[in-house]
Amino acid sequence: MIITLGHYLALSSVLFTIGAAGFLYRRNALVALMSIELMLNAVNLTLVAANRWLPAVQGDAGTVAPPAPAGHVFAFFVIAVAAAEAAVGLAIVLSFYRLRKTVRTDAADMLRG
Amino acid sequence: MNLVLLLSPILIPTVGALVLMMLDAFQKEDGGLAMPTALLHFTAAAMALALWQRGVPADTSALHGFLAIDKTSLFLDATIALGGGIASLLAGGYLAEHKLDRGEYYPLIAFSTAGAMLLVSASDMLMLFLGLETMSLGVYAMTGFRRGSPRSAEASLKYFLLGSFAAALMLFGSALLYAITGHTDYAGIAEVLHAAPAVVANDAAMALQFETRAKISILAMLLIVIAMAFKVGAVPFHMWTPDAYEGAPTSTMAYMSSVVKAAAFGAFARVMLAVYGDAASAGSAAGWPAMLAWVAVATMTVGNLVALTQTSVKRMLAYSSIAHAGYVLLGVIAAPREGTGTTAYASVLFYLLAYTVSNMGAVGALILAGRRGAESVSYDDLAGYARRHPAAGFAMTLFLLSLTGVPPTVGFFAKFYVIRATLDAGYTALALIAVVNSAVSAYYYLGVLVKMYMRDPAPGAAIATPMRSGYVTVAILTAAVFVVWMGVMPERWLDLAREAVSAATAAAPAAATAGGTTAP
Repeated sequence: MIITLGHYLALSSVLFTIGAAGFLYRRNALVALMSIELMLNAVNLTLVAANRWLPAVQGDAGTVAPPAPAGHVFAFFVIAVAAAEAAVGLAIVLSFYRLRKTVRTDAADMLRG
Repeated sequence: MNLVLLLSPILIPTVGALVLMMLDAFQKEDGGLAMPTALLHFTAAAMALALWQRGVPADTSALHGFLAIDKTSLFLDATIALGGGIASLLAGGYLAEHKLDRGEYYPLIAFSTAGAMLLVSASDMLMLFLGLETMSLGVYAMTGFRRGSPRSAEASLKYFLLGSFAAALMLFGSALLYAITGHTDYAGIAEVLHAAPAVVANDAAMALQFETRAKISILAMLLIVIAMAFKVGAVPFHMWTPDAYEGAPTSTMAYMSSVVKAAAFGAFARVMLAVYGDAASAGSAAGWPAMLAWVAVATMTVGNLVALTQTSVKRMLAYSSIAHAGYVLLGVIAAPREGTGTTAYASVLFYLLAYTVSNMGAVGALILAGRRGAESVSYDDLAGYARRHPAAGFAMTLFLLSLTGVPPTVGFFAKFYVIRATLDAGYTALALIAVVNSAVSAYYYLGVLVKMYMRDPAPGAAIATPMRSGYVTVAILTAAVFVVWMGVMPERWLDLAREAVSAATAAAPAAATAGGTTAP
């Protein structure tokens, strides 16, 4: 079997859907954070696979250069920002836990109406 | 033009935030950073205006297609900086009064402002993502700033989880677009996306079938629209909005409901018009404007109806901000229309500036009405307030009338322009629904005025007295100047907005040739 870009896209869509489902159905804030990380990793997989399948750049004198690594660079940015997001997110979960002694999102019910 | 000069509206808050962090680290007592932060923001706004005056160069190839520094982004930069400056002043009064005055708040505002400016200038999916996250991460922290309060922690938890979820949706949409086009910049994506099938096949660009690519393109559009709907608080993705606004410190609420919303709408309009602005995606009955029309109807109606039932003014303002997002969406829907689209896009920019100053003022007046330990947030708290304190009551009245849309305040013209743009684009039913909604909204805004002017506080209830703060007074005066000024000469401001938009559309081909990320 030849692995094509379509296979990678299918895999990352499945990963993304699992992450989204986990985010929507699990009631634990930490699991929700992990689900978001899974979604971001599905994004990274898509970006890197798509970059791998980009055609080579045809130069003027018949030279062939590899495609620009925009997808790889994008993936690095996603990883870096995901780390920053996790830092802020864990701090928020921690401060919620300190005040409420739980990390369950259904305990977050003081604001409603 | 010098790159530093070109980027100065974004660089000023970025570098300023770093300086503020150092100042905070070395000062002995907390407080006192509000004024430098506000000045920083107003300088950034002035810089954006100076660049506008000087004229933006047509050749911005030094930015490599990552950012679009044009009059549209300068207009929005100035709006964001003005809103951020007023919010810093409000924070200076509010945080000190409620014993929250820790210095880290001010760098957070400045970083978020820089992120918001990146967001509205982004012309590349990577920059869109970076701007969105830079803005949001600061605001998440500002929402949970009242560390000892479970309500504040809950607000920031909800905002963070849903905000990150939305960012992930947006990212997956961008990644899919990259997979089918090989570009991350808007111009490059649009070029490949809307090329004829034969061209793409000859290009042999992708290892995917053309039909598959068309389906993926629609999926990516849906993901991006849903993510942006989350960020602007449009129904049915609005669940976090009232909770986050109510639990957040009131000065953060002012920032979130004005600046963050303006930035998200600016980016939303730009990405939709640049990537999906073609006739097939934006023109037909099945395109995204038709889909957004349903979202707009739901947003206006749900926002207004739920606002009617609120007993807390703060929460009422949160639902009213949802309703206003619905009105702005009308302009976005009308924007891709040939001929009348420019005015529609201009009405969006006008609305964002008008809403920023009106809403900042209303929240500022609410902050003014609350003292330490006695924040006035419910309608009952404000009973008789305007009779005891005419000036403070008048300020609140002015901003609420502007939010209602009573002439000659700016709110009237903002609504008038978007509804006129909706009519011009041929969405008569939509315009009618907006007018009815606007009438409904008068009920809950005027309810506050009735309480303030005609009711007495219940016996034994806390009596609202305004706090004394030069910061808050200056902030309210600044907002009031804009509400009246823009209300007295709306056509001039609309012309400015129109100039901002037409310059952007004229510069579009230049941006397309400026080279995408695949250029060697």
